[in-house]
Amino acid sequence: MEREDNRPDPDQLLGKIAAEARDFARGKLKIFFGCCAGVGKTYAMLSAGHQRLVDGVDVVAGVVETHGRSETQKLLEGMPIIPPLEISYRGITLKEFSLDAALARRPAIILLDELAHTNAPDSRHAKRWKDAEELLNAGIDVYTTLNVQHLESLSDLVAGTTGVWVKEMVPDSVFDQADDVVLVDINVDELLNRLSEGKVYIAEAARAQAAENFFKKSNIIALRELALRRTTERVDAQMDAYKSREGISGVVSIADKVLVCIGPDSLSEVLVRSAKRMATSLKAPWTAVYVENARHYRLDEEGKKAVDSYLCLAERLGGKAVILQGTNALEEIIAYVRSNNVTKIVVGKRNQSRWREIVFGALADKIIRRSGTTDVYIVTGEATTKKDVGYTSELVHFKPPLYFQAIFIIIICTLVGIAGRSIIKPIDEVLIYLAGNVIVSARLGRGPSIMYALLSAACLNFFFIEPLYTLEIYDRSYWMTFIVMIATSMVITSYASQLRLQAIFARKRELYTQTLYAFTREIAATRGHVGICEVAARHILDATHTNILICLPDKEGSLTPIWGELPGWDVIKEAGLVQWCFNNSKIAGIGTDTMSSSSALYIPLVTSHSTLGVLGVIARKNKLPFSAEERSLLETLASLLASAVERANAADTAEKLRVDAESERLRNTLLSSVSHDLRTPLASITGSSGIIVSDAQRLSQEEFRELGNSIHQAASRLSRIVSNMLDVTSLESGNFVLNKEPYFIEELIGSALVHMEQVLTSHAIKTSAVADLPVVDMDGVMIEQVITNLLGNAAKYTPAGSTIQIDVAKEPANIRLCVSDNGPGIPTGDEKKIFDKFYTAGQNKAGKGTGLGLAICHAIITAHGGKIWAENKPEGGACFTFTLPV
Amino acid sequence: MNKASVLIIEDEPEIRKLLKAVLTNHDYKPVFAETAKEGLKLISVHPPEIVLLDLGLPDLDGLEVIKHIREWSIVPVIVLSARGQEQDKVTALEMGADDYLTKPFGSAELLVRLKVALRHAHNSKQVHNAIFETGNIRVDMEKRQVWVGNEEIHLTPTEYKLLTTLVKHAGKVVTHSQLLKEVWGNHSNENNHYLRIYTQHLRKKLGDNPMKPQYIITEAGVGYRLIEAKE
Repeated sequence: MEREDNRPDPDQLLGKIAAEARDFARGKLKIFFGCCAGVGKTYAMLSAGHQRLVDGVDVVAGVVETHGRSETQKLLEGMPIIPPLEISYRGITLKEFSLDAALARRPAIILLDELAHTNAPDSRHAKRWKDAEELLNAGIDVYTTLNVQHLESLSDLVAGTTGVWVKEMVPDSVFDQADDVVLVDINVDELLNRLSEGKVYIAEAARAQAAENFFKKSNIIALRELALRRTTERVDAQMDAYKSREGISGVVSIADKVLVCIGPDSLSEVLVRSAKRMATSLKAPWTAVYVENARHYRLDEEGKKAVDSYLCLAERLGGKAVILQGTNALEEIIAYVRSNNVTKIVVGKRNQSRWREIVFGALADKIIRRSGTTDVYIVTGEATTKKDVGYTSELVHFKPPLYFQAIFIIIICTLVGIAGRSIIKPIDEVLIYLAGNVIVSARLGRGPSIMYALLSAACLNFFFIEPLYTLEIYDRSYWMTFIVMIATSMVITSYASQLRLQAIFARKRELYTQTLYAFTREIAATRGHVGICEVAARHILDATHTNILICLPDKEGSLTPIWGELPGWDVIKEAGLVQWCFNNSKIAGIGTDTMSSSSALYIPLVTSHSTLGVLGVIARKNKLPFSAEERSLLETLASLLASAVERANAADTAEKLRVDAESERLRNTLLSSVSHDLRTPLASITGSSGIIVSDAQRLSQEEFRELGNSIHQAASRLSRIVSNMLDVTSLESGNFVLNKEPYFIEELIGSALVHMEQVLTSHAIKTSAVADLPVVDMDGVMIEQVITNLLGNAAKYTPAGSTIQIDVAKEPANIRLCVSDNGPGIPTGDEKKIFDKFYTAGQNKAGKGTGLGLAICHAIITAHGGKIWAENKPEGGACFTFTLPV
Repeated sequence: MNKASVLIIEDEPEIRKLLKAVLTNHDYKPVFAETAKEGLKLISVHPPEIVLLDLGLPDLDGLEVIKHIREWSIVPVIVLSARGQEQDKVTALEMGADDYLTKPFGSAELLVRLKVALRHAHNSKQVHNAIFETGNIRVDMEKRQVWVGNEEIHLTPTEYKLLTTLVKHAGKVVTHSQLLKEVWGNHSNENNHYLRIYTQHLRKKLGDNPMKPQYIITEAGVGYRLIEAKE
């Protein structure tokens, strides 16, 4: 069966679309690429810029190093220049490119010489290529220059060829993603000519070290070849990309995956670069893997830092950096290879002594044996360029108490042997000492254990072997005993200390897992932004002993700390960095490439859709950057935090939508209800008063009073509606505060009855209350309002002459007040609905009310923690009851 | 009879119109000020017998106005305020206002308040009546005796003090803190809770049903008012 190889992979298509969308907004990067200084890159860049300027495009010069050469200088005339920023550093004034000025100026094209340049300390970015990135992201086209020796993946090759190490490097990804690369090439002889004529400027740093060595003909030829080859590779890649974009088949898609195993020694750097080159030529994704096992915890600070730097290098070169955790490096690597379908493994083989190889074996050989179908590439090398990696031996941490304990155990074993001399032979005593050794090595560690092994052998000889109490030996066969005894001791020591380290390592890993687990569990159960921040702060404090801040955008979109404060003395700078981290979704601050002089590490809270905010982890007092394991933990926590924040945002949005919908509905009901309710009394007032105004003379006293009366009634009604509406609005808005004071409920009933005297004239009022009612804390004004509304309701819905009864009773935890009447009662089934806003009994009866009175009662009583309900009495009539907690 | 002059400090023209109609019809002489500044000037130039002060004035906070008035004048001040501003009412009363009216108010209520305030103003110039009577109750402050109907009742010293304080301000509202201060003294630690309980006891002894009060009315959020005998 034929496989449908021609069909494009959907992921690939999506990626292409995303890339196109990015291209749309992003500025274009044009690199003028050359093999070394003096080929005329700056001149070419300026010419191109000038041409565009003539075309009417807004071109400015950001940085152009003319080195005082007249031809180049001439091209600069008439081109606007961004004034450089003067940074004083240790008494020297450095002129640096002003990124902010360029961003503010927003030209169409900016010329930026020397992409590999390292910026002055304290600049926003350590490297100029990062400035260029930011300009591109801002939609500005960048023209720049670059020499082949500054390309990161080639730097070791260049160093190997020329013997000169270059510090200033540009990641290959920048080069590969450039929209246009112009190779500026020149004949080698001509270049040498120019050199001898002094037309080539040699950078200060390079001059001292490399001038004569570097510009050798052989070197230049090699560099030129590298530059040409690199450019060709790029053209190839472009061709492939074009073919794949246009769906031209024949491009073999290779599902290769490259894995490189690194360690703490300097060979790892070579390994990473080789893997990168291999992956690039295969167009395959690649991963650098470091296995963090027990040995890792014995690494000194230098070693740990080296591992961090190799992992960072891999990331910079476009690979993925992965830290695996496990006790057995081989098993972990093989497991990773299997689960990730790695096709090629790059592994280093150190030139180690023969016997070590025989005894311990080389990881590379073991991998080859276990790799199965996966190809293994071995890179051999001497880890020489840097000082060899040091492991802190436990002997370094000399702890006398442990050694004394070991001696104590020897004494005990010896005493046991002496006491039981009659039945214990010297050979048995060996076993006793070995038993002691097990305890010592398991409990006290390597150093005391080694001491124990030697000392116990001496004791054995001294106390138990003829001649006693001398170190001489008559019986030669005991030599063998000693050797076996010491060897056994050493093996025990070695295994036990390995076990100890594994235990420490397991504990660390357990802690890490537990932190993640506890954090995940707790944050999932937490609602609201502040709660989430609190949980995050607590867990991170536990895990790394550092404080944090969390910045989220506020309503206007500007980042504000909602947890913690910006650290350091230069808050504005920190805030700028937070903003940068947020805008670029990249980690920044201490220990990173961006503003490592900051007082905190800033990690963007990124989800699949967007960047939600920034987590700042404030550096410890000693200002040491966070280790790779801490950073990986923090980044994991940050991603969990991000999804929690996303959830909280979603909840907020949902809540806001709900509230919006509710208030929209309320507004509509209010409008329809109010328009009717307001119009009726207003019509009555307008009509009646109109008659008085126009026909005052002709009206009789009686008619006059009649009209006045109707105006008065309509106006009272209006007043009631308006005050009810205001009440509902203020209760609904949720920002009313209960002003609780102690009251006897009876006195509020009394006060309500006094105020309602006018309304209740045609009703009989009966009251009853149990004795000894307690004083209850409540908002007197509001509770009186509730009673007033209930009384008003009873008066409104019962015919004149009815009886309204108020009863107060006491329950264990409540007082209960009931307003009942002997009127027609509540329409059946409406007992609950009547507390809804705008409910009025008998919808068609005009002029009853706004239907807000009971809603107000409900809101007030609920706010007091009480309950309110309505029911019909069996003997007829409605009964409204509310309770208030005592 | 000499018409009592009433200074109305109120910025709403409609309310001014209404008050003018009511007051002129009931033998008062209304004088109007639209702003606090104008009002304060009028008080100093033509001292009125009583002031009706709206708390929500455009140029100066009503409470500030009371403070200014009280710096040099004892003219009775009745505050006009909206419902829900209980705290403002209490503050106004404690700063020296004599009474308050909640908008919207009826003319009958207004006239009663005016009469009470004016009478208190006159009384303070003369000697206090030794005997106070309302409804069934008679308080003889010289003999320190309280009668309900024909029966003398016995009050504890605190209850008696509470009753006489209310009597002294009969018809006017007395705020909680004023009562606490006058009954228990300036530095008392007593709180509203005690006040409630003593008032309840007093009511019981006076035979006043709190649910249908005839004498002591609770003004929720503000204080108590002793009702005077209706004329």
